[in-house]
Amino acid sequence: MKKISVKDFFNTKKKEFSLSLITHPQTMEKDITNEFLHRPGLAFSGYFERFAYKRIQILGETEISFLQSLKDEDLYNSIKEVFVYDIPCMIITKGLSIPSQVEYLANEMNIPILSSRLTTDKLYHALRRYLGDVFAPSKTIHGTFVDVYGVGIILTGKSGIGKSECALDLVERGRRLITDDVVKIIAKDDYLIGTSTNNYGHFMEVRGVGLIDVQRMYGIQAVRKQKRIDVQIELMPWKDNMDYERIGLTDNFVDILGVKIPIIYLPVTPGKNVAVVIEVVARNHILKIYGYDAAKEYTNKLQKDLQDKAKLRKTVIEDNE
Amino acid sequence: MIRKTIVIENKLGMHARPATMIVKIASKFRSEFRIIKGDMEINGKSIMGVMTLAAEYGSELELIADGVDEEYLIREITELFASKFGEE
Repeated sequence: MKKISVKDFFNTKKKEFSLSLITHPQTMEKDITNEFLHRPGLAFSGYFERFAYKRIQILGETEISFLQSLKDEDLYNSIKEVFVYDIPCMIITKGLSIPSQVEYLANEMNIPILSSRLTTDKLYHALRRYLGDVFAPSKTIHGTFVDVYGVGIILTGKSGIGKSECALDLVERGRRLITDDVVKIIAKDDYLIGTSTNNYGHFMEVRGVGLIDVQRMYGIQAVRKQKRIDVQIELMPWKDNMDYERIGLTDNFVDILGVKIPIIYLPVTPGKNVAVVIEVVARNHILKIYGYDAAKEYTNKLQKDLQDKAKLRKTVIEDNE
Repeated sequence: MIRKTIVIENKLGMHARPATMIVKIASKFRSEFRIIKGDMEINGKSIMGVMTLAAEYGSELELIADGVDEEYLIREITELFASKFGEE
């Protein structure tokens, strides 16, 4: 299961979320394991059914003013009941000050409390977006990722089939490389983002030459950091009895992290210009998105032609022409 | 070389799906395969070629196979036409 420690979260996002620490630094040893947030107002008032204590608890003006309205003894009991739960972290918004008892008990019971200067609404959305990214399902696959006319194409296939050389060909033709060899794929709600696994830059191995730096060699316009993945192209050696797509009426899909994207099985033969074919795939993908499907267009014309001719034939025969 | 004349018996004629089936079967064989309709002669292993024939229901085609496995090719293709490509 994915997790991030409160300490790491605090240190990396201190600035972005205007955070400061209220409790002792030792309290920050806990882990955040859930991407959702919770407002614990009802828990403070004594209702613990469905209390999502595993989430980060956000305390805004409503919660704070409720706590301030309680008598000392009630406040103490109410907080204690809540802090018994293993809460990963609490964040007070708008830089509001909290009753001293809350801070005292939090230190006692090892609950980290952070304060943010952002409004509840702003923090809530920013934090959700951030946690969504942190907890997004991800994986790495062996492949090369290129941006061709804005279509994110992930090239896969066995080692030595020519993925890197193909990407180089595309870069030469003005397209952009995102990453070579290992692609990190992150699933967002209903789409995939592909990026590099490291920050070293855009290096690539060319068989027989060694490592090259694509950005240095071709310029900044030849690379990009990340891109939505639109199509997968599997390069494969030509096989005589393999069923390659001939018309393109049926689309094949591949499931990556629960997201379906079209996959094309592309036979590679020596001397074939794969880069050109990949550009054609990209152009065709764009045309399809804009509602024009060449395969459908052609076959519809053929079908109409066949029907018209069959009708004519029938009429002629019936009339003994 | 084998020549054989057949008639298109499925109502929809030789549209995209049957054309694909023909090309797939023909491509399994080493023999050359041509199809003639009227004054048109095409390569039976090329999908665009087969579709260009626009062979409607009731039309007549001449199949020509030439090569080591020509008999098998013609037999399978004939069976395919007889099955009406699984259509009406």
